[in-house]
Amino acid sequence: MKPPHERRTALTHLVEAEGVARVNPPMLLEANQYFDLAGEEFGRSLLMTAANDGVEYCLRPEFTIPIVSQYVAQGLAGSPVAYGYMGPVFRQDGSGPHEYVQAGVELLGQLDPEQALDEVFTFARRALSVYRLMTPTIRLGGVGLFEAILANAPMPDVWRPRIRARFGHKDAMSRLLDRLADSHAGKPDTPSEPIDRESLADYVAEQMVAAGYSPTDSRLPEEIAERYYEKQALAAAHVPLATIDLLRLYLSIEGRAAGVLDEIEDLASVYKFDLSAPLAALRHHNATLKALAPQSVVMFDASFSPRLEYYTGIVFEMEAEDGAVLASGGQYDRLLQRLGSSVPVAAAGCAVWVDRVEQEMIS
Amino acid sequence: MTGLTLGIPSKGRLEEDSRQAFARAGMVIDRPGGARSYQGTTARQPDLAIRFMPAGDIARELIRGSIDLGVTGTDLIEEGTEHADKAVLSARALGFGKADVVVAVPNPWIDVTQMVDVADVAADFRTRHGRWLRVATKFTNLTRRYFAKHGIIEYRLVESSGATEAAPVTGVADFIVDLTSSGSTLAANGLRVLEDGIILKSEAQLFVSRAAEWTPMRKAQLEALMSVLNWVPPGLTTQL
Repeated sequence: MKPPHERRTALTHLVEAEGVARVNPPMLLEANQYFDLAGEEFGRSLLMTAANDGVEYCLRPEFTIPIVSQYVAQGLAGSPVAYGYMGPVFRQDGSGPHEYVQAGVELLGQLDPEQALDEVFTFARRALSVYRLMTPTIRLGGVGLFEAILANAPMPDVWRPRIRARFGHKDAMSRLLDRLADSHAGKPDTPSEPIDRESLADYVAEQMVAAGYSPTDSRLPEEIAERYYEKQALAAAHVPLATIDLLRLYLSIEGRAAGVLDEIEDLASVYKFDLSAPLAALRHHNATLKALAPQSVVMFDASFSPRLEYYTGIVFEMEAEDGAVLASGGQYDRLLQRLGSSVPVAAAGCAVWVDRVEQEMIS
Repeated sequence: MTGLTLGIPSKGRLEEDSRQAFARAGMVIDRPGGARSYQGTTARQPDLAIRFMPAGDIARELIRGSIDLGVTGTDLIEEGTEHADKAVLSARALGFGKADVVVAVPNPWIDVTQMVDVADVAADFRTRHGRWLRVATKFTNLTRRYFAKHGIIEYRLVESSGATEAAPVTGVADFIVDLTSSGSTLAANGLRVLEDGIILKSEAQLFVSRAAEWTPMRKAQLEALMSVLNWVPPGLTTQL
């Protein structure tokens, strides 16, 4: 059996393959951009330190964001580049701080974004095969498909972003859907107050001044009044029960990709939704994944998504038999503009958890 | 040192109430050097080391296992570790120091009455204001856990070590997570607790550290101490 360092060398060849630029972002990064992009929930897992001037830094928790920031800062946005990386990342959880090794690729600004995703899949499969993990279970998630369903499903517009914001968080999503369903059964809606929006905003502003709040620093009186009416409108603007049922049904779908995608297509034709583009993309990637030898099981899980709004299109995980996530990634077209690119840039990438992969090979 | 170490809050109402509670249970704690001294003694337990410490330090040292038992608030323990059950064992709730850790928003936010409203406001706050919604608190861990449970991720914490209730008025934060017993400080600052905004009901408890070194000898000492106090049924140490 090959010693571990030889396998690491083989992995190095993958992240330094022809056409792939190996990069080494700094180990010490400004923490702010992680909080800006991923919020406090991800922030919990950072290992933080503060400079004497109070600026907060963290140990590199992943590679994508520093690599993409650098690409944008160098004025490359829009040009096709493939980056590869391998090195330690640092996270903490309930059991303490951890150092892991990640290896991965990021394909930015590629002319054919779907082909780029196929290359990412191929990279992940090859990386796992270095460790003789020949047939990982591949779990696909459809961010684009869910967004298309939301856009098609009949409901008051105000609810769409609220439902989207909970995609990827099963509990929060089912709580919201329960609440939406309950609103049908509940008491009759309270009639809206007989004051107009402007005087309500004035009333809120008076309250703010009286309590010593700045009416400009935080939420504005108009904003509060607007949302107050919106909330009443929301309570009155029911999401149709049929739509709630459809969303629940859709989100519970999980199984072998080919069969499940047929099922979703049937669902789309019953409801007369146009889901052809995201379904075609999923079918294409399922086919290219199945074409990689030896063949892996490809699953589709309708409720699966990272809880980061910059993911788009298709996301995936590759799992060991015991369910351990060995590699994860997908398309993240929205990240580039969030990091300052003035033009939209297609992006796809993945990270392989090298320690877990080594562990799996041993067991 | 072979004897057990007990942490008692070093000042204010918590100190008085803790010493009274022990006295009523039959163990009078003396502080021979007065309030400037941090060592205590008790006539009936000469081997017991009593240390007067700030309640927050007691929680931290219990979690670390560098003191064996101590009186502190549930809030401080829960803030100090995600796995309170694994870190400490509650020997007895003492009935004082009752307070709630709550989510409170400015009164004029008439559209925000529940956590789901906070989730909605947080979701588009950044688009509207060019910055994240800010919540001031000294309970950063409790806040993160509670907000995560409600699926809220679009916010930033502002650590506040005191007078958190003033943060929204001074513009440091938009709303707060804070400890309140009667709610009067919150009300005086124009703040209102959300209907489902109680994160934790806290009170002073006598905690035993699970992380401390529990040799059979020290377990026996703990059982002996508990039987003197007559608070806790025998067998507490079987749970360590």
